[in-house]
Amino acid sequence: MSRPIADRAGPTDPATAWRLPPRWVLLVAVLLIACAEVGGASMARFKVELTRWARSVALDRPAVHGLVGVRDVDERILDEMLVKFDAGLRLFHMHAEGMGLVILATTTVAATLVRAAGARRALILLLTAGGAGYPLGYLVWSWLIPYHGIERGKAIAEWLVWIPFGGAAIAALWGLAIVVAARVAGR
Amino acid sequence: MIGVLLALAVAPVVTVPAAAHHVGTYTPKDNAVTTNFKQVKFSVQAKKFDVALRLFETGALRATMRAQAATLPPGLEDGTRAALSAGAGAEVERLLMLFFVALARDLALEAERQLAASTASVEARTAMGQKFLEAIWRYYNLVDFAVSMRDSKTSAAVRLAFDEAEGYIRGTAAPAALNPCAGAKPAVGRAAPDPAKLCEPLRRIAQVLSTLIEAASTPARRNS
Repeated sequence: MSRPIADRAGPTDPATAWRLPPRWVLLVAVLLIACAEVGGASMARFKVELTRWARSVALDRPAVHGLVGVRDVDERILDEMLVKFDAGLRLFHMHAEGMGLVILATTTVAATLVRAAGARRALILLLTAGGAGYPLGYLVWSWLIPYHGIERGKAIAEWLVWIPFGGAAIAALWGLAIVVAARVAGR
Repeated sequence: MIGVLLALAVAPVVTVPAAAHHVGTYTPKDNAVTTNFKQVKFSVQAKKFDVALRLFETGALRATMRAQAATLPPGLEDGTRAALSAGAGAEVERLLMLFFVALARDLALEAERQLAASTASVEARTAMGQKFLEAIWRYYNLVDFAVSMRDSKTSAAVRLAFDEAEGYIRGTAAPAALNPCAGAKPAVGRAAPDPAKLCEPLRRIAQVLSTLIEAASTPARRNS
């Protein structure tokens, strides 16, 4: 499954060559970075439209957001809601960019240093799924805020996305760290 | 290896996720009225009355005075413009104090009305009361110094009532203002929030501010 990176560059020592992760992993990582860039561009291009949409959805649900019908009170509630909505989109943009690179780096390490095929496949799968799924939680949170409020939306995003995918990525990273430490100790 | 991975996967789940997951903080911003007030106030303090007049004529203060003229003391807009034109800083301060005190009083009355009529859950009424208190304080805090210079008893009464209201929202047994040296109360000893009791301090805030508006509607009276 994994191939030495230096294959096409010429003869190299298989024991020290870096190995590429499977191509589908590379595709997921590149797609994630592409989504991050599209998200960032869309935030800037459609800022007004997104704000209007979030505001109108929230105004249709006054009980969810605790709106009381008094401008001096409601404007601050809506302002906080819109700030968090925007923060969720920004955090998606940044995390998706970063996690794309994290997937590329960590799965390359796993493909190179993990000898047992089953463990290598499990680690690459967890790193890829966790790394790609986690940033989507911010997008989900942003989308949920106008409908369910800041805290309720956050709780839903946490249990649906951040905990399972973030947990998978963290577990895989610790597993990878253990493998690397074992290789360092046993060389 | 699999056991270790499972243990590591479970670890984040058993921790408290909401507290651990940081998604940024919200810092409340000034609204158009408070921003315009600060612009006018600083211009007056710098004796730039022409600048202050221009900021007042084009800003949210004047627009709000017009929009809420029915519930505000009469003559606020004309009086403020005249005082700015005449370069009368103390009179501008008095009229703007009246304006914000009237806004805070109206918010206190509306909060009391909505809380008394609400059949929502304790949590929802607590959140509603908290939002109203924040809005009242945002306006009153701008002119508290001017109020205390004019009528220190009123300033103290508003602060006490406000602290009592916050105590009912936060679930503290006694208002902080009664014992300012006590520090934060431990969570174990806290009572549950009681929004039903909020109406009383809100009513007191409205009464005290109404009395102040009547007393301060004629220029130049200071008791301290």
